[in-house]
Amino acid sequence: MKPFITLDNVTYQVGGHVIFDQLNMTLDEGKIYAVIGPSGVGKTTLLHLLAGFIKPAKGHMTIAGDEIRDVREKTSFLFQDLGLFPWQTAAEAVAMPLKMSKDRSKTDTDETVDHLLSSLNILNCKNYYPHQLSGGQKQRVALARTLITQPDLLLMDEPTSALDAMTKETIQQLFLDLQSERLMTSIFVTHDIEEAVFLGDDIIILHPQGHCQFLMNKEKQESLSRETKAFYDQCFYVREQLKLGASKA
Amino acid sequence: MSKLKRSFHQPLLIGFVLMIVIWYVLHLVIATRTIPAPVETFDYFFRHLNPLIIHMGASLLRVLVAVILALLIGLPIGIAIGRRKVLDKLLSPLLYVIYPIPKVAFLPVFMLLFGLGNVSKVMLMLFIIVFQLMLSVRDGVKDIPPHYFKVMQSFSAKRQHQYRYVVLPAILPRVFSSLRISIGISLATLFFAENYATTYGVGYFILSAWMKMNYVEMFSGIMALSLLGSVFFGFIDVLEKKLTPWL
Repeated sequence: MKPFITLDNVTYQVGGHVIFDQLNMTLDEGKIYAVIGPSGVGKTTLLHLLAGFIKPAKGHMTIAGDEIRDVREKTSFLFQDLGLFPWQTAAEAVAMPLKMSKDRSKTDTDETVDHLLSSLNILNCKNYYPHQLSGGQKQRVALARTLITQPDLLLMDEPTSALDAMTKETIQQLFLDLQSERLMTSIFVTHDIEEAVFLGDDIIILHPQGHCQFLMNKEKQESLSRETKAFYDQCFYVREQLKLGASKA
Repeated sequence: MSKLKRSFHQPLLIGFVLMIVIWYVLHLVIATRTIPAPVETFDYFFRHLNPLIIHMGASLLRVLVAVILALLIGLPIGIAIGRRKVLDKLLSPLLYVIYPIPKVAFLPVFMLLFGLGNVSKVMLMLFIIVFQLMLSVRDGVKDIPPHYFKVMQSFSAKRQHQYRYVVLPAILPRVFSSLRISIGISLATLFFAENYATTYGVGYFILSAWMKMNYVEMFSGIMALSLLGSVFFGFIDVLEKKLTPWL
């Protein structure tokens, strides 16, 4: 796999408080990265830097060889609270990025939207407003809205934090299926160690003062089942690493 | 009957029936010529329907022009104040100072500046509607959750897209309720606005009947004004249902 994202001595601070101090990172194309760490360590900030919402005080960041100067069209962001507008139906929400970015015919847009909604099993809710959708359906609509532009980088900020356990597992499996169909690099922030181990090809542990630790997620490479001892061993190992980082700080 | 038509007609009918009941009770209790019987007034109203329609048309046109102008002026200014902190700091205090002033007090000034014709009448109503609208729109824009703009930023949305997909839909409900309130107030001020230099308008009709002490005619005018208000409110209700289906 070739390097897709590079962070070179990236420093970011807010009001004198240093979040990242000379952070270095290389992320490969097509992989799923789970970012975990204690609250306030800068997980969401890292996503915002990669999305181009904010700029580092020092250092360089590149995606696909190009310096990140602003928001990229090929980067999509799934927000923690999803950011679905109350006035848009599922179909309108998913069609919006297409309508904004390209001169497509209405028929073409409708067909593309229907196809994606169908692949996410929510075609029957296409005319529903957010308040008429369940948590899982809202999640799928928001996911469809981020995927409709066929991004090469998907950033997700605690995408399943508001879901119940069963819906969470369904969405996680759906995400893995979608990821396998697309050439896309995904980075998601989570507080859920099990989720990180289940989804992440690699796990990035952010420790206080912006120190970051990479863990190759062996469990993910070997098996996708939660029902194994190896899965829980890996969760336990990640948890220990988190605790170790916190105690050093 | 379509759902929209039903939703418009039913409350209107209930409103009218209730008004007539209250009116009739007052007529019986107070027992004075200044409150004529509803039946007598209806009889007069329908016998003089043609001239009344002309008066209603004149008033309708004045209010309509004022509403359209208020939307053209109030929407962009309200949005700009809501979006730009500098404009908010600069213009909001001015709005706070002007908004509570009874606009009817400006009538002599409007007459002096815009003459005795329709312009001064429309300007008075415009002044009543536009400040209410600006404040409502400003508050509507300020109430938009900031992360909605972040969502739009993540799609590299241009400014016009932010207005098309976020700002305008977000402020629509407030625009409608603001129009309802301010159109009600401006219809009430027709009474003042149409009492000079005109022979057409419901305000003129009521005042003229009052001077003649013809209370049946006066109540017919009041009924026409109420009908005019119902048409406006009904139209706004239908438009709101059509344009804000998520509510």
